[in-house]
Amino acid sequence: MVLLTMIAQVADGLPLAASMQDDEQSGRDLQHYQSQAKQLCRKLNAQSPNRCTLEAGVMSFHYIIEHGVCYLALCEAVFPKKLVFAYLEELQNEFNELHGKKVPIVSRPYSFIEFDMYIQKTKKHYVDSRTRRNLGSINTELQGVQRIMVANIEEVLQRGEALSALDSKASNLSSLSKKYRSDAKYLNIRSTYAKIAAGAVFFITLIVYVRFWWI
Amino acid sequence: MSSTGFNSQNGAGGQPYANGPSQNPVALHPSGPGYNMAHQPPYNPTQVKGPMPPGPGLYNSGPYQPVPLVGSYQAPPGQPMLHRPSMGPPQPMTPPQSASPGPGLRMPPAQATPPPPVSANSYYQHPPSWQYGAPPPIGAPPSMAVPQHGPVANHVTSSPSPAPPQLSVGYNAAPPAIHNTMQPLGPPATLQGYTQPGSAPPMNSMVAPQSYQPGHIQTPGNGAPFPNSLDHLETGHTMTGPAPPPGPPARHMGQSYPALPPGYQNTSAPPNASPMHHPMQTPSQPYSHAPQQYQQTSAGPAQLSPSLAGLSLQSQTPEALRVVNLLQERNLLPPGPISPPTPCLPQDLQKINCHPEVFRSTLTSIPQTQSLLNKAKLPLGLLLHPFKDLTQLPVVTSSTIVRCRSCRTYINPFVSFLDQRRWKCNLCYRVNDVPEEFMYNPVSRSYGEPHKRPEVQNATIEFIAPSEYMLRPPQPAVYLFVLDVSHNAVETGYLDVVCQSLLENINSLPGDSRTKIGFITFDSTIHFYNLQEGLSQPQMLIVSDIEDIFLPTPDSLLVNLDECTEMVQDLLKSLPHMFGKTMETQSALGPALQAAFKLLSPTGGRVSVFQTQLPNLGVGSLKSREDPNQRASAKDIQHLSPATDFYKKLALDCSGQQVAVDLFLLSSQYCDLASLGCISRYSAGSVYYYPSYHQQHNPAQVECFQKDLKRYLTRKIGFEAVMRIRCTKGLSIHTFHGNFFVRSTDLLSLPNVNPDAGFAVQMSIEENLVDMQVVSFQAALLYTSSKGERRIRVHTLCLPVVNSLSDIFAGADVQAITGLLASMAVDRSVTASLSDARDAMTNASIDSLTSYRTSVLTIQQPGLLAPACLRLFPLYILALLKQKAFRTGTSTKLDDRVFAMCQLKYQPLAYVMLMIHPALYRVDDLTDEGALNISERTIPQPRVQQLSVEKLSREGAFLMDAGSVIYLWIGRNCNPNFLTQVLGVPSYPAVPQNMTMLPELDTAESQRTRAFIGWLREQRPFFPILHVVRDESPLKASFMQNMIEDRTESALSYYEFLLHIQQQVSK
Repeated sequence: MVLLTMIAQVADGLPLAASMQDDEQSGRDLQHYQSQAKQLCRKLNAQSPNRCTLEAGVMSFHYIIEHGVCYLALCEAVFPKKLVFAYLEELQNEFNELHGKKVPIVSRPYSFIEFDMYIQKTKKHYVDSRTRRNLGSINTELQGVQRIMVANIEEVLQRGEALSALDSKASNLSSLSKKYRSDAKYLNIRSTYAKIAAGAVFFITLIVYVRFWWI
Repeated sequence: MSSTGFNSQNGAGGQPYANGPSQNPVALHPSGPGYNMAHQPPYNPTQVKGPMPPGPGLYNSGPYQPVPLVGSYQAPPGQPMLHRPSMGPPQPMTPPQSASPGPGLRMPPAQATPPPPVSANSYYQHPPSWQYGAPPPIGAPPSMAVPQHGPVANHVTSSPSPAPPQLSVGYNAAPPAIHNTMQPLGPPATLQGYTQPGSAPPMNSMVAPQSYQPGHIQTPGNGAPFPNSLDHLETGHTMTGPAPPPGPPARHMGQSYPALPPGYQNTSAPPNASPMHHPMQTPSQPYSHAPQQYQQTSAGPAQLSPSLAGLSLQSQTPEALRVVNLLQERNLLPPGPISPPTPCLPQDLQKINCHPEVFRSTLTSIPQTQSLLNKAKLPLGLLLHPFKDLTQLPVVTSSTIVRCRSCRTYINPFVSFLDQRRWKCNLCYRVNDVPEEFMYNPVSRSYGEPHKRPEVQNATIEFIAPSEYMLRPPQPAVYLFVLDVSHNAVETGYLDVVCQSLLENINSLPGDSRTKIGFITFDSTIHFYNLQEGLSQPQMLIVSDIEDIFLPTPDSLLVNLDECTEMVQDLLKSLPHMFGKTMETQSALGPALQAAFKLLSPTGGRVSVFQTQLPNLGVGSLKSREDPNQRASAKDIQHLSPATDFYKKLALDCSGQQVAVDLFLLSSQYCDLASLGCISRYSAGSVYYYPSYHQQHNPAQVECFQKDLKRYLTRKIGFEAVMRIRCTKGLSIHTFHGNFFVRSTDLLSLPNVNPDAGFAVQMSIEENLVDMQVVSFQAALLYTSSKGERRIRVHTLCLPVVNSLSDIFAGADVQAITGLLASMAVDRSVTASLSDARDAMTNASIDSLTSYRTSVLTIQQPGLLAPACLRLFPLYILALLKQKAFRTGTSTKLDDRVFAMCQLKYQPLAYVMLMIHPALYRVDDLTDEGALNISERTIPQPRVQQLSVEKLSREGAFLMDAGSVIYLWIGRNCNPNFLTQVLGVPSYPAVPQNMTMLPELDTAESQRTRAFIGWLREQRPFFPILHVVRDESPLKASFMQNMIEDRTESALSYYEFLLHIQQQVSK
């Protein structure tokens, strides 16, 4: 069954609509998935695959990206994939029709929160897998579903992190090397000074010696 | 001087004074703090200071009995008149000079010359002696001023120095000196140990007549001769030849003024030198001249309010500090509403400061150190009305909200910009970067002017929050109604009103297309209503297992309002008749609340509970705890605390799930509001109480209930809210008042927030605010609007820091202080006892006036002296003592009392003040003179009268505005014109007994009266009922109980109360 639905802009991860969970037992650990979903929306970009399933333990995230908008759903891992994607497809059609044009200009989070009403209704249809309507849609979607990529949520979330870690390491390295370089320069100069000073002392001693003892 | 306060703040019990033990028996000074802000929980248990004399016996009412003008002060019967003493030089014509008889008896006139300031001790001693010794030469005050300047100035500067040991030495001198003078009025037993026997009785009678009588003689005459004296204040120019005011009082004043200037000069000490002080500081003449002006006007209170309202900042400080002898001046009330004091800030800051109705401090000048605050004995706190309906509110939408990186303060008008790209936080002083977006100003469409952004121009602003401020998607508006349908409830007929109001307002409930609604009814079982789309009619589901409550169906109990409007309307139409014949008398409120919690916990929302009797079934059942026979006689009120913690626990659960519970209590019997109220208190709900509600028998209550419901259903609402109050480093908030749950140290969790909720906090000064000129306070309220938008409303208040006591007193806001004290006293009466709370309030006024007398006043005049800004303080304290919440002796229902306490804590200050001190107007002679004109309506503005029967006249009609109720009292011989033109009755006997509405007559008088009452009602969100009261009405008693300046069987009159305070103050 679908526990969480979220619609967000891909470009900046701005949430556009979401469905409240009205399920008693989920209240506790859903918070964790909620934040994962938010992170995920922020991680996604134009290069991300259009359809993807991400496994997260006993749950999995499914999303589709259409017209720069990501439709994300969280279900139990055992819930049939085809159903979820059919559900997301239906949301996408409706949302695109209703609000598609307004999406690029909004800046307030959850601007289309009232779309929740439609989400909940659609969800109800899909949750009960005995509905004949579902069976029909399964058959038509069967082909497409095979090609959907599967990945692990942790990997996706950490991919970005690893890159940024690498980036920070590289920048650390470059700053360190810069520092080394300046330090080295400084040391060089110092040693030069030291040499000159030593020479000067020698010559002064020499002059003094010559002056006082030779003459 | 009352010693108890010092005991507490020095932290030493027993004897704080170095040389005290020899003179003051320990028993004289029961230790106990007034209110201790710093280290202990607020409002520490106070022991009775000077025990309030229980009866009239201790008051020597004799002396003022013969004065004809004092008719209203009902002298206690059977009190033998004390004979007047025949003392050396009685000087009957110039009473004030000799009114402190103590020094007069003891010190030979030779000591008249001021003693040189050798030791600290002498500072306090010299004023009385000096005052006594100098026979006031008329017209020669300047000569007095010269020798005085040095020592007095010394004294003033020395007092704020925060060195405790020296201070105590400095103060030591005071108690003995004053004890000698005023002591005899005190509780006699122990005191007599060191008074000289024989001299006591004469003094006893001396104090009262000499200080009071002249006041009355003065009052009428003195105001008139100097009508323009206030002009000088405003312009501030020097008067070269001040005309010596004629008459004995003026002589007395003339003598006193030279001592004041140093005090004033000190007020505008360098650290706080705001520009407008300078013109006043430079010449010394304006100063020596100003106080004199005040004293001339002192008797004319009518002139005072224009000065309060119209005074520019410049002259405010001196005005607020004008010395008022409360025993002499009776007409202290300004004719109109009291405006809060203006903080002494530079004009450009003050212009953008937060509105006092939203954010207000008890002290508009913040003391520099805690010890200074302790010395002032005034409570430091803030009063907030954060979600007030505002007519204009700038709203900012921006992707990043600029906040301080370390303390998370929102950028506000009081931050300083170091340059274009950096700003300095005004709370923690961290320097932050200005983000790129902030450089662009959307209002003026210009770049590079961050200080012109709306965030930096408005002290009250609202942000649309980005998604970082949301833990979950914004919740929809969810409303659940829990209705009592037991026999008792059906009997009152309230269901009709609720259903009717809901039907009428169902489309104006705040919300969007996601709004959900649900209903639960309960008697001994719980009834749910399935309102699913597609059913032919609502389906009732009964759960009789109240031990382990469950929801009979997972969905369709809460339905979308838009989709199921018809079904909801069907239910509302049939509900009142469904239980018409019920015989079920039991009420399972606890299980019903549990069910409501279960239903709402996934989303959060608002539960409105309507209850008409004591819950007596299932969890949370209660037993009657009130004994009606004990109401009046009980020494202390029991059962103010909850009987069970079930409601509190449930409320905390609710709070965690963003559910708020509002309680409507409609009952004629005891309902244990103290226990039931917890459900609303901790879940940030509100409580409404309609005692003896009945559809037929009590139409006034019904109307009130209807209007309240309408407001309740349609008012703005914020969901899943939190509020945080931040203040400048060094200040800390330690106690909160209001309805909420404190989640972490400073985060208030408010599942719902409504525009009628007020909050108060107490503060202490943890670090010295030495090199700061201003401090700031910021309240940020994050909430989800009913339209599903997450918003942050930010209020920022800026106040000056001062380092002298006189400045602190000058900035005291008496209404805010009263409001905060009331909240503190409610807490105290629940945790300790009611009598404790009453003593604490009395002590609060005694302490602050004592501190004023000993630390600010440089000359010791007789009488009870208060700065003008605190002149109403004793009156308000007395009003609080006589308020329903705190009164004793009168029969008060426990629920009434508890409800009054709830309101004191929960209502915003403006409404609380009317509940404490109602406004009385004479309305039979309303004219259009000075009337307000609001949107083409003319609203007459009668002046506020004192709350004393003396002010009532049989020929008039009086309107008393007590906040939630308005009384219209008709005198027996009322002007027949008023009766016919306004009330529409031919004569007084024809005035109906239960009149609650004025007929809409087409006469000028009727229009004026109705316009005035309508205007009063518009100013508050709830609907005050109007009661027309005549002599035979049963409501006359409650009308008369509001006459707080008069004495009742168990409570003091205002004058007696003042005497009591004076006696404690001068001890």
